[in-house]
Amino acid sequence: MSTILRGLQFYPGKTVIHKLDPRVKLVISLLLMMTAAIYLEVTIITIVVAVEALLSIIAKVFSRWARTVYGAAPLIILVFLLNVLFKLSMPGQSLGFQSIYEALQLAYRLVAFLASFSIFFLTTTPEELGMALTKMKVPYMYTFAFISAIRFTPILAEELQSIIDAQKSRGLELEKGNMITRLRRYIPILIPLMVNVLRRSYELAEAIEVKCFGAKKNRTYLRELKMTKRDLTVLSISITLFTLAIYVKLFVKLNIP
Amino acid sequence: MIVFENVEYVYPNGFKALRGVNLEIESGEIVALMGENGAGKTTLLKHLNGLLKPFSGRVLVDGVDTRRTTVASLSRKVGIVFQNAEEMFFSPTIYEEIAFALNNFRYPEDVIQKRVGWALKFMELEEYRDKSPFLLSGGEKKRLALAIILAWSPEVVALDEPTVGQDILQKEKMIQIIRQANQQGKTIIISSHDVEFIADIKPRIILMSKGRIVKDGPAEEVLTDIPLLQECSLLPPQIVSLTSRLDFLGIRPKLAGPEEIAVEIARRLK
Repeated sequence: MSTILRGLQFYPGKTVIHKLDPRVKLVISLLLMMTAAIYLEVTIITIVVAVEALLSIIAKVFSRWARTVYGAAPLIILVFLLNVLFKLSMPGQSLGFQSIYEALQLAYRLVAFLASFSIFFLTTTPEELGMALTKMKVPYMYTFAFISAIRFTPILAEELQSIIDAQKSRGLELEKGNMITRLRRYIPILIPLMVNVLRRSYELAEAIEVKCFGAKKNRTYLRELKMTKRDLTVLSISITLFTLAIYVKLFVKLNIP
Repeated sequence: MIVFENVEYVYPNGFKALRGVNLEIESGEIVALMGENGAGKTTLLKHLNGLLKPFSGRVLVDGVDTRRTTVASLSRKVGIVFQNAEEMFFSPTIYEEIAFALNNFRYPEDVIQKRVGWALKFMELEEYRDKSPFLLSGGEKKRLALAIILAWSPEVVALDEPTVGQDILQKEKMIQIIRQANQQGKTIIISSHDVEFIADIKPRIILMSKGRIVKDGPAEEVLTDIPLLQECSLLPPQIVSLTSRLDFLGIRPKLAGPEEIAVEIARRLK
């Protein structure tokens, strides 16, 4: 779990990717995901993943990016199994090569999605994301809530670990017993976690109110986002490539797996 | 007895928290782990009951390698009171909060009742028995955290930063509790950078810096070594600061009560 979270956490760097306008990065990630969404062909998804890998190499976050993808393996396997079960539950279906292959395609698509998320969050600070969203006319209240959620996730993960440590030190054994008793064992972990989350959100609310949150409708920033020539070039290249992808999808009959 | 043999520990993010720690703690000792933030104190504590297993080297608790047993079975011997233990409460009443661990360790009901009663009395929490743990004050919460651990009477009690956020009165109470528990034969291990608090207890001190033990000795020796303390980002206790400036009277830096020093200054000035 924590490996996935680390792969979705900003990792400082001074590469071209880090310096790109967050809006451009957001668009690129979305386009990559959309490409993965309109195609099911393994070859195309591989190309998408390869592009993402290349981007992560340029941004010097490849190992973290790879770990996210690797860490998501259980989730991906789960999606694969669910798809297989779903296919089997449909009338007239039997477990053949075709149904397994299709489930595999869907699971593989998830890899491309996740990898795209990862590269975006690894190279963009929550503030930059906030600025990008504000520029896109998302009300600041929602932006703030979203950023805080991202911000607090790693802290929450850390807190969860320390609660587990503390309760294990009080003799709590999480591994023993059947499903129901095991779930019951999580009560001593979930209650403190929830209490702490609530307490923290009250504290945060007080802290931002002290700093006049929401006093002015239009928030200004010390550092304004500006599209540079490089941003526009990268943006136009990616849009061109995506248009090409759509064109191929609509008008070219592909004969690849 | 607890033995650390060349213990190294690296966190998943690559941070080397322990870099070859060798340590022996006899039963019945009071030991203080001191050092700056990130020196490895908490990491070391978490090795005591197997929450963390050494990356290399080994930790023996009464001769048992912590890698060969479970946290639950080690916890019966080593009770750890974490720094933010008061954020881990979950039961509707204080009684149940203390009984939780005893239930986990499968004590019979009558023993549980007796032990919880004893722990409540020892920590002066009897009147709150049926109240919610969330309604306690900061100091009371800290005492409840201690009561939780002492209830099952582990041979070793480890305290992580027990004085953070506590006022002078609570600190004094804490010292009393530590002394009492030690007199009952318990080994006490305290991790702290509260120099004055430790100076009052005068335990054996293990000074840590950057994952290594840099000094291991009695409080009188470690806490009067001002250059070494500074190296570990610790200020000497005020009484040591004072006596270190009394060289012209022929007084050496020393760890003693204010009365004793006052008498000595008066004697030298005569």
